[in-house]
Amino acid sequence: MRTTGGHVATLLTMLGATAAAGDFTVELRDAAGKPLANAVVYVTAKTAASAPAAPPHARASIDQIDKEFVPRVSIVQAGTEIQFPNSDNIRHSIYSFSPAKTFTTKLYSGREAAPVLFDRSGLVVLGCNIHDQMVAWLYVVDTPWFAKSGADGTATIRALPPGDYRLTADSPEDQLAATESDVKIDAAPSRQLVTLKAGA
Amino acid sequence: MRIERLQTRIIVFFVVLLALVQVAAFWFVNAANSKNAHAKIEEELNVGQRVFARLLDQNADKLKLSARVLAADFAFREAIATHDTGTIASVLSNHGARIGADAMVFVDLQGNVVSDTLRPGGTSRKFEYPALLKANKNDATASMEVLDGRGFQLVAVPVLAPLPIGWVVMGFAVDDSLARDLRTLTELEVSFAMEAPQRPAFPWHMLASTLALPEQKALLAGLPAGADDTQRLVINLSGVDHQALMIPLDDNSNARIVAVLHRSLDSALAAFERLRNTLFVLAVLSIALSIVGSVAVARNITRPLETLASAASRIEQGDYVEPVRIERSDEIGVLASSLNHMRGGIADREKRILKLAYEDPLTDLANRSRFANSLEQAIEEARAGGFSLTVLVMDLDRFKYVNDSLGHGVGDHVLREVSARLLATVQSAACVARLGGDEFAILVRHATGGEDITANARRIIDALEAPILFEGQPLDVGASIGIAKFPEHGGDAQTLVRCADIAMYAAKRNKTGYAVYEAHYDTSQQEHLSLLSELRRAVERNELRLYYQPKVSLHSSNVSAVEALIRWEHPTRGLVSPALFIPFAEQTGYIKLLTRWVLREAVRQCGEWLREGMRLTVSVNISARDLMNRDLPDQVAALLHEHGVTPSLLCIEITESGFMEDPANAQKVLDRLAELGVKLSIDDYGTGYSSLSYVMRLPVQELKIDRSFISHMATDPELSTIVRSTIDLGHNLGLKVVAEGVEDLAALKMLRSLGCDDAQGFFMSKPLAPRALIAWMRANDNTFDCPNTATVQKLR
Repeated sequence: MRTTGGHVATLLTMLGATAAAGDFTVELRDAAGKPLANAVVYVTAKTAASAPAAPPHARASIDQIDKEFVPRVSIVQAGTEIQFPNSDNIRHSIYSFSPAKTFTTKLYSGREAAPVLFDRSGLVVLGCNIHDQMVAWLYVVDTPWFAKSGADGTATIRALPPGDYRLTADSPEDQLAATESDVKIDAAPSRQLVTLKAGA
Repeated sequence: MRIERLQTRIIVFFVVLLALVQVAAFWFVNAANSKNAHAKIEEELNVGQRVFARLLDQNADKLKLSARVLAADFAFREAIATHDTGTIASVLSNHGARIGADAMVFVDLQGNVVSDTLRPGGTSRKFEYPALLKANKNDATASMEVLDGRGFQLVAVPVLAPLPIGWVVMGFAVDDSLARDLRTLTELEVSFAMEAPQRPAFPWHMLASTLALPEQKALLAGLPAGADDTQRLVINLSGVDHQALMIPLDDNSNARIVAVLHRSLDSALAAFERLRNTLFVLAVLSIALSIVGSVAVARNITRPLETLASAASRIEQGDYVEPVRIERSDEIGVLASSLNHMRGGIADREKRILKLAYEDPLTDLANRSRFANSLEQAIEEARAGGFSLTVLVMDLDRFKYVNDSLGHGVGDHVLREVSARLLATVQSAACVARLGGDEFAILVRHATGGEDITANARRIIDALEAPILFEGQPLDVGASIGIAKFPEHGGDAQTLVRCADIAMYAAKRNKTGYAVYEAHYDTSQQEHLSLLSELRRAVERNELRLYYQPKVSLHSSNVSAVEALIRWEHPTRGLVSPALFIPFAEQTGYIKLLTRWVLREAVRQCGEWLREGMRLTVSVNISARDLMNRDLPDQVAALLHEHGVTPSLLCIEITESGFMEDPANAQKVLDRLAELGVKLSIDDYGTGYSSLSYVMRLPVQELKIDRSFISHMATDPELSTIVRSTIDLGHNLGLKVVAEGVEDLAALKMLRSLGCDDAQGFFMSKPLAPRALIAWMRANDNTFDCPNTATVQKLR
């Protein structure tokens, strides 16, 4: 849900506020120029060790509502613990065979399960062993600078310190190929258009 | 070929008809069967095709389901996700065994075969049918493909974790077992063949089949190459035609797989073959039955026909006793009944005809024919049995008089009464017949011949003695009977009857009532007959003469009249008595000719005497027949005129019976003669039955008393009394009375004393020839005074 996403963003913004930085907005389009919602972007500094690590016990949440993961697409910094509440009144049994994090957790209605720590970066595809149609994509990245596009197809990475970065954009729902590009960030807010092409 | 017998015709007709119907029915059924068989096999193939497709679909669904289940198996997915190749292989083989799949393959996202139960050793290769690998599990399809040279029904399902991480490919082998299963369900032979276009010489390779090996080869040889659609084929396997459907199953690979469903026409036709055989047997049976049936029907028709025919033939032969015995209500029964009626009708008619032919309808007595037959039969029996027979022929006296004067009704009544009396009189064994007219005949059989043969005749005469009553009036009918005996008088029927007839005439002539045949009757009879025939020529030959007997007046003794009497001077027989030929001339009608001749001669003689100065009244006898001749008065008048004779010189004598036969006509003729002035005289008075009232009506002037009264009157007082009263009666009526048959002086004297007017007889003179009469007259001076006895004797 967007409110949850909003919390994460707010949290990240608050964390980044310690460094002198500007906002970096990425406009995500598909090959047809259509804005891509639920796409993720993140940047990694090309210069050494300027990025702060994730604070301990950083938390995020992926809910199950109406036999759907909410949100379907998430992006978190490595070391974040993800809470899997169950808003449905049925059981779910979420799993991941992704190399970044392999796990299974049974979720019972109205009973909070222990959060799962995602400490390795990589794309984790979540499924439900009970409901095959449920799928969620969780990007675990080694950078605090990431964002997810809204309905308008723009994702803004806030308080990004100026510098040279490697930008990665992906749209898992649309099964488009992830793209990487180099960006130079000034103190001033910057904006960039990224077009995702169909790919494997 | 012509068939004559009705029975055979009926049988042939029915059998041929039924045979035709059977052949036609057989042909139609056979044709329909053949058509049905083909349609049925076609239908079976179609059904088989549908069942086959459905079974393959079900197999595919089963595969899909299994594959999906497997693909969703968490452990499996985990093994895959964790690239645990050993686990993957074991899961595949385990799961394959569980659902009975023959091939289990896991293909990764790149299309590489990760694990393959067919090749557990594993060779790194790309999966052969990438088109089967569809990302969406709902798009999974089953397909017939070839793996390692074997046919498989394959299905590929993506493994989701939750995104696709590879494909599970599962396959059921297309093998003989499958083919057999399909055959069980479709009842069709099932073969799966693979087409390998790279081997054009022998493109087809058998994957699985229900057929034996040689037939498999034959089937493959019969398959056409490059067929894209379902084809219908007829393939000959081991000499048997099979109707086949060739169904392309998939074309995902270079090796095309087809299913061939087929069925032998023979097996499809077998049922119809059995039906046809049954039909044939039924046809043969029904024809045989129809033969038996039509024989029965034909017999049913022809047997009564034969009965009818034999009945008709019996009727033809005159057997009317046996009726046709057919108790049926159908047409033949009606015919039989008609035949019976016809039989009865014919019998009745024949009886009537026989009655008409052999019976006298008036008296119901046998007729002449029947009598002749009976007599002939009786003669044969008598001859064989050695007994005798008597034939009586009876003729009624005075019947003609009764019949003519009183009418035929009375005559018939008399005949019936006579016949009744005859029947009542004679023995029952006798045969009584009416030969015709008033002539009867009686045949009497004698067992021994000792009987008095005249007894019957006497009884009959006695029986007829009593007068026959007609409407209360008595009729006196006498009879004359002639008797002939077998074997004495004749050996055959004709002779016996003739003899009896002759005897009868003798009896009649002699007024003896009856007479037994005697040979001399026969000669006299024959004499009469020959005389009769000679009499015809007597006139032309001028052999007839008239003799004249004088009538002497008892008052004056003058001779003023003569009676003309006919004489026949036969050239060989001499003088023939009129009694010998007059009766027969009367019977034959020849009397008319004689009378005419007598009249002519008498009148001529009278005229001659007149011219010679002798005035003699000439009396002429005429018969009853002449009295019926209406021309007689004219003829007499002409004669008188011709010879210049005064009518009063002619006296015509008639007998009582003469005018009694037809009184009305006789009266007219006599009246005319009287008008002419001719004298009329009643001859033989006293013998007939005429009453005086009749006589009084007649214009007669003279009464001649019959000689039977005169000749014995001198000795018989009764007779003299009759003569006296007759003379008185005649005088009282104003008639001249003449006595005939005066043969002696005593009679003459008595007559004179009684006042009789004239006398005539041998005592005075016998009838004389004209010349002799003249001489006699001259000798007596025209008188005959009553002489003494001596004189009389001298004169005679």
